[in-house]
Amino acid sequence: MRSEALVLPMPRIVLREETDDWAILFDPDTAATFGVNPMGVLVFRLLDGSRTVRDIVAEIRERCTDVPSDAERIVGDFLEELVTRGMAELRTPGGR
Amino acid sequence: MMRACRTPRNVEICITNQCNLRCTYCSHFSSEGSGSDDLPTGEWLAFFEELNRCSVLEVVLGGGEPLLRGDLMELVNGIVTNRMRFRIQTNGLLLTLELAASLRSTGRCHQVQLSIDGSCPEVHDHFRGDGSFEGVITGLRILQKSRLPISVRVTVHKRNVDDLERIATLLLEGFGLPAFSTNSASYMGLCRQNADEVQLGVEEHSRAMEALLRLGDRYPGRILANAGPLSNARHWLDMERARKEGLDPFPDCGYLRSCGGVFSKITVRADGVIVPCVQMTHIELGRINRSDLRVLWQEHPGILSLRRRWDVPLGSFEFCRGCPYIPYCRGNCPALAYTILGVENHPSPDACLRRFLDSGGKLPRVS
Repeated sequence: MRSEALVLPMPRIVLREETDDWAILFDPDTAATFGVNPMGVLVFRLLDGSRTVRDIVAEIRERCTDVPSDAERIVGDFLEELVTRGMAELRTPGGR
Repeated sequence: MMRACRTPRNVEICITNQCNLRCTYCSHFSSEGSGSDDLPTGEWLAFFEELNRCSVLEVVLGGGEPLLRGDLMELVNGIVTNRMRFRIQTNGLLLTLELAASLRSTGRCHQVQLSIDGSCPEVHDHFRGDGSFEGVITGLRILQKSRLPISVRVTVHKRNVDDLERIATLLLEGFGLPAFSTNSASYMGLCRQNADEVQLGVEEHSRAMEALLRLGDRYPGRILANAGPLSNARHWLDMERARKEGLDPFPDCGYLRSCGGVFSKITVRADGVIVPCVQMTHIELGRINRSDLRVLWQEHPGILSLRRRWDVPLGSFEFCRGCPYIPYCRGNCPALAYTILGVENHPSPDACLRRFLDSGGKLPRVS
């Protein structure tokens, strides 16, 4: 996914935080769930329609320590997975 | 202690106290809150918004008979708007093609549950009332025609214990259902007044276990049970084998751990009072739209006390003293412990293997 891609969660998707800061994303239309770790929760919360992939990674670097050097690829793969599962949509044409 | 979710995943709501039937063993009527007035639509819709904020995944609509509410689709749409799925527990008599189509059109109906307790009117209607068999079978046909997900529950009692094979044939072969579930008439609600007439005696319980295990062999994976004779048969046989062979304790056994509901689910009575479980309506935790559900869920002493059951060893109860099955037992349903003994945090005599055997009960023969 390109650095300037803009991804938005589908409005129906529920972020349900469970114990230990892990969470599930739940699609009430299909009952599908997708387990996400605390970093995934943070990324999902940052999908506010104004932040690109690059912005999200910059935000993570500000908030967290020991962020891996290939964080942009990891975040991009995660967002790609959300789009593939129908839990988010790409807003920037040609953004992938 | 097992950790609870931050908020309930599933909320069961009795949206009405009204019912068009008066089944002899109904667990609802004569329980706390069952005589109160129903809440107006707006109260439920406001509560669904709170459930959305709490990221609740599913609402179960029960009653009474939920289809008696004229605003049912308004409530369903409130659930859908608030990003949840729903189930409905109904006697099926009021189902119509139009209603079924509306439910299906939401795309969020996880299941409609019907109760079918006999293969014919003579058996089914005995405790449920004349015409109820014809009504529920019509309802089942409507659900199938509408391609809604269906769940059928068979409550085993004195009058249908010898009809179980015909019921299985009707549901699995006649209607081609993938499966059905079973339980038994329990000492709750109206059943408490009619226990001798309704509930299985020891010998009937043995017969029911034999029959259901046999049917389970004939229809593998298609006869389900979380309680009642089939569940007891499966668990008790494992317990007896473990005792004879001196096996290590079963996971989560030796403590009051039979019910994990209070870690993920909560219930609301028709009068809006929040309770831990549809079968423990006497423990009042708060009221919708007045209590903060998240705080109540995390902090209310009533619910915390039920969660602490998990740390209570069965060996600490006089009831269990000397019992060889303790390492393989979870102490059974807390709601039945309450209705039978008046205390929740105690082993329930209802599904106690030692008590069953002491009363002359026989475990099923295993082929």
